[in-house]
Amino acid sequence: MLLLQYHNILIQSILQERFAPDTQPANIDQVISDFDNVTYHVSTPESKTKILISLSIRCFKDLEKYGATALLKREYGEYVVQPENGYDFSIVVDLENLPSSQEEKELLIQKIALLKRNAMAAPFEKAFGQFDELAAEAAKNSLDLSVPEDSGAEVMAVHYREEESFFIRASHDRVTVIFSILFREDTDRVFGKVFLQEFVDARRRSIQNAPQVLYSSKEPPLEIRNIAGVKEDVGYVTFVLFPRHISRDRREGCISHIQIFRDYFHYHIKCSKAYMHSRMRFRVAEFLKVLNRAKPEAVEEKKTASGRRFGAR
Amino acid sequence: MSHLTTPAVVMGIGTGLTKLGFAGNDSPSFIFPTAIATRTTGAASGRPPPAAKPAFLSGPGGNSSSSGGNLASKRGTEDLDFYIGHEAIDVSNTPGYGLNYPIRHGQIENWDLMERFWENSIFKYLRCEPEDHYFLLTEPPLNPPENREMTAEIMFETFNCAGLYIAVQAVLALAASWTSSKVQDRSLTGTVIDSGDGVTHVIPVAEGYVIASAIKNIPIAGRDITYFVQSLLRDRNEKDSSLRTAEKIKEEYCYVCPDIVKEFNRFDREPERFQKYLVDQGLGRKVSVDVGYERFLAPEIFFNPEIASSDFLTPLPEVVDTVIQATPIDVRRGLYKNIVLSGGSTMFRDFGRRLQRDIKHLVDTRIHRSEELSGARSGGLDVQVISHKKQRNAVWFGGSLLAQTAEFKGYCHTKKDYDEYGPGIVRQFSLFNVP
Repeated sequence: MLLLQYHNILIQSILQERFAPDTQPANIDQVISDFDNVTYHVSTPESKTKILISLSIRCFKDLEKYGATALLKREYGEYVVQPENGYDFSIVVDLENLPSSQEEKELLIQKIALLKRNAMAAPFEKAFGQFDELAAEAAKNSLDLSVPEDSGAEVMAVHYREEESFFIRASHDRVTVIFSILFREDTDRVFGKVFLQEFVDARRRSIQNAPQVLYSSKEPPLEIRNIAGVKEDVGYVTFVLFPRHISRDRREGCISHIQIFRDYFHYHIKCSKAYMHSRMRFRVAEFLKVLNRAKPEAVEEKKTASGRRFGAR
Repeated sequence: MSHLTTPAVVMGIGTGLTKLGFAGNDSPSFIFPTAIATRTTGAASGRPPPAAKPAFLSGPGGNSSSSGGNLASKRGTEDLDFYIGHEAIDVSNTPGYGLNYPIRHGQIENWDLMERFWENSIFKYLRCEPEDHYFLLTEPPLNPPENREMTAEIMFETFNCAGLYIAVQAVLALAASWTSSKVQDRSLTGTVIDSGDGVTHVIPVAEGYVIASAIKNIPIAGRDITYFVQSLLRDRNEKDSSLRTAEKIKEEYCYVCPDIVKEFNRFDREPERFQKYLVDQGLGRKVSVDVGYERFLAPEIFFNPEIASSDFLTPLPEVVDTVIQATPIDVRRGLYKNIVLSGGSTMFRDFGRRLQRDIKHLVDTRIHRSEELSGARSGGLDVQVISHKKQRNAVWFGGSLLAQTAEFKGYCHTKKDYDEYGPGIVRQFSLFNVP
């Protein structure tokens, strides 16, 4: 598994099971977790046919500021209900009122399984919208598009984890996404540096079309330096998305990719550690074999038939 | 901290099935085979395996990468090319992948594969950042402490999990029995009968500690019952006697009867007790299979093993009695009073009732004899077998129950503790204080 999936596999499997035409309705009460401190609660509080799916997300306040409510409304329209107590967003699916065709059902399941992705997509969509406006304006004023210019667009900060945040800023020729990266472990930091260096070098070496990636381990990038709460001593990864990355047909994929960056990154750090351990175990087993071979052979003294020894006086 | 609000992860990894889920839920979120399918040959070069050469020609030493774990010569991302669970079973039919079972007899055999199994189950299935979650893992009784240390090393060093608790399966099964209405005091003393697919364990637990010297295993479990049903079907020349049909019949029709002879008579008197099972063989073909005496004969092999096997002849109630008799005398009363069932093969109707009757009978005979010999009156002994609704996944459920309590995180060893003391720390876990 090279890439992490964007949808929640558990929600998907629960709904698939429930949506199947010949299953008996049953009670569900499950708490499900997802990356970035997201918690889902899937339950059937009223009747067995009404499935309530609630989402709790740490940075919902931030997301709301950037239009998450509208986006979720657009995606889940008729299913949206008043949020369950303790959660940020809820939808209800009525099993007796499902779309008729199988494809539509699959589509609905897929959509619900992407609940977290869609919630987190709000600031990105907003930034891409701003980019469209700014680009149009720049074209109108016939600005030189190749000259980067400081736009007045606001930097959107989403504090999606306790100590880590990401920042998005649109301008007329690109959208900048900055992740703050903090490692609790020294080993992770070393692995992480190597990885991030690979990200930075990838563009230089083979993939010319990749977004530009910058990494600074000490000071925050210029774009976010004047934002309150930005700490030093934290690593910052900057992705510069150029217009070709955020063309209309690529936008959805781009949002999915970039918002799972941190989890992807940590997943691979952990995989590398697992690989290292596997090599270490292999090496130890090899050395043990060598050690076992190195046992001194017991020298057998040779005797004649009558019991006399050779060479002994 | 963020991990104060996230639910703990409960992982019950067994020989056959892995059960994964979050604490507080009443059933595991994922149940899949503990299998991992890895690339077998040609992994080093990244080319597809040469199909022209059969595997036996390359010899045992020729392709060291086929041993499953060794990735020393990888060039790309071969270490990520693997599948677990149901996907592993599916993909193992395609060329290039080999199926491995990292756990044998409840204990982890191949740590490389296990590490990758965990990696995938955490990131792909449970989708959680291990740094934010506490973990509760289960281990079989008599698991060597070295294995615990290895587990802790992987969980803390590879995954940086926030906290770890390793619990003995039998203790969790006891905790799961608290949901039964028969249980008044929530104690961790009792005898656990854990019968899965491969083997049945009888494990005495006194106040949360397993009495290791008294544990007994019985080589009769779910699979043997299935084979027995299958042999009965074959004897009768049924149209379908596949293992799957036998398993379905076992799960849907079998029950435990109080007395075989009477049950045979009842079957003769009431012909509606014979039933039919419709097998869907696929492609629209349906075959009807008669279900007869195996309905009560199959589970009977626990109580009269001689009908199915010739090398193991001690009935389950007798084994339970011997196990309890082998424990220290001051805990026996508690062990007789709280006999807890766990695992899929204890799900037969009236299984608990029959077991209770038979053990009671054994105990009463013994008390009677000692009364005769000594002339003193005995106060009697309570025998109680507890069955409950969560029996099938009792171990996982017990884990979920304990891991959702507020105190759970206090019992865990945290990453900080691990960094301070090293892996040896997991040799000891404080027991759950019973509320």
